[in-house]
Amino acid sequence: MNIKGKVVRVFPGDTNTDEIISGKYKYDELDLNKLAKHTFESVDSHFYEDCHDLKNPILIAGANFGCGSSREQAPQVLKACGISCIIAESFARIFYRNGFNIGLPLVECEDISKDVTQGEWLEVDFDAGMIRSEHRNKEYRFKPIPQFMQELLERGGLMPYLDACGGYTD
Amino acid sequence: MKTISEKILSKRSGVDAESGDIVAVPVDLVFAHDGTLPLAIQQLGGQKVKDPKKVVAFCDHASPSPSEKVSNVQALMRQFARHHGMDFYENGDGICHQIVLERHASPYKVIVGGDSHTCTHGALGAFATGMGSTDVAAIMAYGKTWLKVPETVSVEVSGKMPEYVHSKDVFLELLSQITADGATYKALEFCGEGVEAMSVESRATLSNMSIEAGAKVGVCAADEKVKAYLTRYGRSNEFKALYPDEGAVYTKKVRIRAETVVPMIAKPHKVDSVVPVTELEGEELDQVCIGSCTNGRIEDLRVAARILNGHRSKVRLVVFPASRGVLLEALKEGILETFLKAGAAVGPPGCGFCIGRTVALGDNEVALSTQNRNFKGRMGNDSSFIYLSSPSTAAASAIEGRITDPRNPKE
Repeated sequence: MNIKGKVVRVFPGDTNTDEIISGKYKYDELDLNKLAKHTFESVDSHFYEDCHDLKNPILIAGANFGCGSSREQAPQVLKACGISCIIAESFARIFYRNGFNIGLPLVECEDISKDVTQGEWLEVDFDAGMIRSEHRNKEYRFKPIPQFMQELLERGGLMPYLDACGGYTD
Repeated sequence: MKTISEKILSKRSGVDAESGDIVAVPVDLVFAHDGTLPLAIQQLGGQKVKDPKKVVAFCDHASPSPSEKVSNVQALMRQFARHHGMDFYENGDGICHQIVLERHASPYKVIVGGDSHTCTHGALGAFATGMGSTDVAAIMAYGKTWLKVPETVSVEVSGKMPEYVHSKDVFLELLSQITADGATYKALEFCGEGVEAMSVESRATLSNMSIEAGAKVGVCAADEKVKAYLTRYGRSNEFKALYPDEGAVYTKKVRIRAETVVPMIAKPHKVDSVVPVTELEGEELDQVCIGSCTNGRIEDLRVAARILNGHRSKVRLVVFPASRGVLLEALKEGILETFLKAGAAVGPPGCGFCIGRTVALGDNEVALSTQNRNFKGRMGNDSSFIYLSSPSTAAASAIEGRITDPRNPKE
């Protein structure tokens, strides 16, 4: 799997799920496309529009991205904003699981958030575990995503995957 | 030689599991609430629920419903629960984690909740972890989940906590040392004489806050105190002793000397931005909040009431007991009277102020709360500021209207 896209934002470490989507909206809006309009509202009011102006926007972040609440609405609204891939130094555990469960590719790469800037083109090669920046003429390696997780992405998430496999194999 | 997490996951998966292994385990209890169940219902997409007796639904986060939209979402949940014949806890029954502690969790159980603070149930020796709505839906459909057996960080609390210092302060001290991602993907295992001396309620505060260090679970041994707790709720038959093996392998060991811990406070907007209360004494407050799944148990209300007794809060004081059972106990013990005379607005059991859906702060307001998170906008207003503390610090601060060290209570 390959993704080529433009960096829409670079967020700092410890970016939490309350910042991604505020708890005040998630109890009364089930339509994720409508909810997506409030993505990062408290810290970055143009995020939603800027994502929609790009093809395959890529989000870059520091360590512990998506910490805090288990709300799956957080990766869901980012997906609904059109985010094609999130590359962070590290992810909070529940967010990481949620991302793959809904078919949103997440990549852990330690050095990238210190280097890359907004507006840059990146190419992510999931099989090779490599991110290329033409602009910098530089390549960044990441630990390839385990086969099982890649299959989740290819199937579009956990539910389609389990439906296809008929549940967990013992 | 296994840690508590390795022991539970080995037993429940039927495989001799150690950290790093991926296992498929049957889930003994899966639950979700009004913030996470609706999305799980969508993800389930009309599939059959495998075993409705192992699924529980809660209306606690936006409860009682503050708007017509929330009421409609809750009605959808109610209909889903009734259709599948699963237990459903209503508005006012209390916070999911408190009810699961009282009625469902026990040693060796694998518990998954659609809420990050599901780690609370490690206090009873369960392997309990938070997941998102899709995982909840998958467990409802298939009765199992996959888990990576976590590495374990041992947290030893040695010695005895001084007066007016609580397990909340111990955890804030720990957070200041290991930071908000200090235990990401890992298990925290609490031990030592300080933990042995703690009530199950106090241990539940440690387990509850484990996610604030990124941990997957926060477990304690299942000892005589756990047995007594389960007996109190008529569930002594669910008790099984559970301790880590001698010689279990820990990725890291942290030791906190309880006798040296002082009242601590987390500053806005990060949980690991922790300092002693003395450094912030005198900071003015607009609201003090007592409750939540971290510190809304009867023990917490007793501590706060003892300090508030005979005083009146100088700022808005809101109190939300964690469950209907807690509220009833507070009523019988005269604690409610103390809160009411102190000028508190006592709310129905539930999450209340913690997520800002039924109680919100105003612009630039400052709150001190006994909850677990102080993220920007958490209490419903992006320009407000949230400090986190123990119930003692919260009560002492309410009396003064400013951040106050509880060790110097006013006569």
